Amino acid sequence: MERYDIAIVGTGPAGLEAAITAKIRNKKIILFGSAALSEKVQKAHLIKNYLGLPEAGGADLQKAFLDHLSQMEIAITDEKVTLIYPMGDYFSIQSSGDMYEASTVILGAGMVPGKTYPGEETYLGRGVSYCATCDAPLYREKTVAIVGFTPKEEAEADFMAEYAGKVYYFPMYKDEVHVREGIEVIREKPVSVEGGMKVEKLITTGSAYDLDGVFFLRESVSPGQLVPGLEMDEGHVKVDRSMKTNIPGCFACGDITGQPYQYIKAAGEGNVAALSAVSYLDALRRAKA
Amino acid sequence: MAVTVITEANFENEVLKSDKPVLVDFWASWCGPCKMLSPVVDQIGEEMADIKVGKVNVDEEPGLARQFNVMSIPTLIVFKDGKAVNMSVGVQPKDAIVALLK
Ligand SMILES: Cc1cc2nc3c(=O)[nH]c(=O)nc-3n(C[C@H](O)[C@H](O)[C@H](O)COP(=O)(O)OP(=O)(O)OC[C@H]3O[C@@H](n4cnc5c(N)ncnc54)[C@H](O)[C@@H]3O)c2cc1C
Repeated sequence: MERYDIAIVGTGPAGLEAAITAKIRNKKIILFGSAALSEKVQKAHLIKNYLGLPEAGGADLQKAFLDHLSQMEIAITDEKVTLIYPMGDYFSIQSSGDMYEASTVILGAGMVPGKTYPGEETYLGRGVSYCATCDAPLYREKTVAIVGFTPKEEAEADFMAEYAGKVYYFPMYKDEVHVREGIEVIREKPVSVEGGMKVEKLITTGSAYDLDGVFFLRESVSPGQLVPGLEMDEGHVKVDRSMKTNIPGCFACGDITGQPYQYIKAAGEGNVAALSAVSYLDALRRAKA
Repeated sequence: MAVTVITEANFENEVLKSDKPVLVDFWASWCGPCKMLSPVVDQIGEEMADIKVGKVNVDEEPGLARQFNVMSIPTLIVFKDGKAVNMSVGVQPKDAIVALLK
């Protein structure tokens, strides 16, 4: 498999600046994220504190960033990264599209997703799961709830319905839902997961459902789930001044590392993370020589 | 050490009656995270002479998965002296897997 020097996750200012800096240092990079850039870039109102772009709106910032990328011939791989696994001297990366390998990883995935539901962590692996395609066949003939945070998860509900006896789908968005016949769509919000040794019930704002499994399918996963073994500090990825995490070769930058949440701070940290990754790669090469 | 494919038929001999601790990996071919974990489990099997590594394909062996309450894969279970003594669900870093065996 092709081995990249640096894999970068996120197309906000943190990931983009990391990509630009790494490219200038002649590293072989792959940049994952939305090709239209971070929503926080696209949809910003008026930004007054970004150096060189006074009074920029989201569209201006997006255009300036995209122009910079194309000038540097940096391509975006428009895929969601689902798992990054440290293999020793490289990382194995799984995305919605494919598998990749890189010697180092830079996480610029933005703010850590919000709180989990009561019972969710307690029953993880005992009826709570985040991967319907992985676990669907373990729920043959069983009753399952899928909590989908984006319409993309409707396909997961359809897949689950091929195995499970009964599927409830809880859309956490307003759009019209298109799932296969037999799936019961319920417009209630989950409150908690309850059970004994295993999951038995999903409590919602309107009712309670007896079931065997609950799948929470969120837009983004928490960094600890994304990179097994990653050390966190009060909800953010723990880094030092060089943006190193506790995992050798893994760096983090931007909102994911904590406050303040600012564009230029994110970009600045992206720059530091890329330079640290470059030094790490140099040390790795020297060690091998 | 070579990895043993565990089935209901050989489970008792290969796992319960094993004189070494057995690290059993419950996996399936459709499961992406399992594919990532698998080579690391193999590596541990090669590096640690005093353990054995077994693999249960949950698609082919739903009975074993049910018996050990495997509801998410990958799941790793460590058996010692005929008993399940440790379990972890999901992809784990290598040192966490080694710690399960301690
Ligand atoms: C309403 C509002 C107003 C703001 N105003 C200002 C301001 O005036 N000035 C200022 O400095 N800051 C402002 N900010 C803060 C600023 O938006 C953030 O600090 C900045 O966007 C952080 O950049 P980032 O690159 O760390 O993360 P983000 O911009 O959040 O980008 C992260 C990207 O990573 C992607 N991603 C996440 N997980 C994955 C994955 N698994 N695989 C692939 N991609 C993934 C996300 O989809 C996202 O595109 C404002 C924020 C908000 C919400």
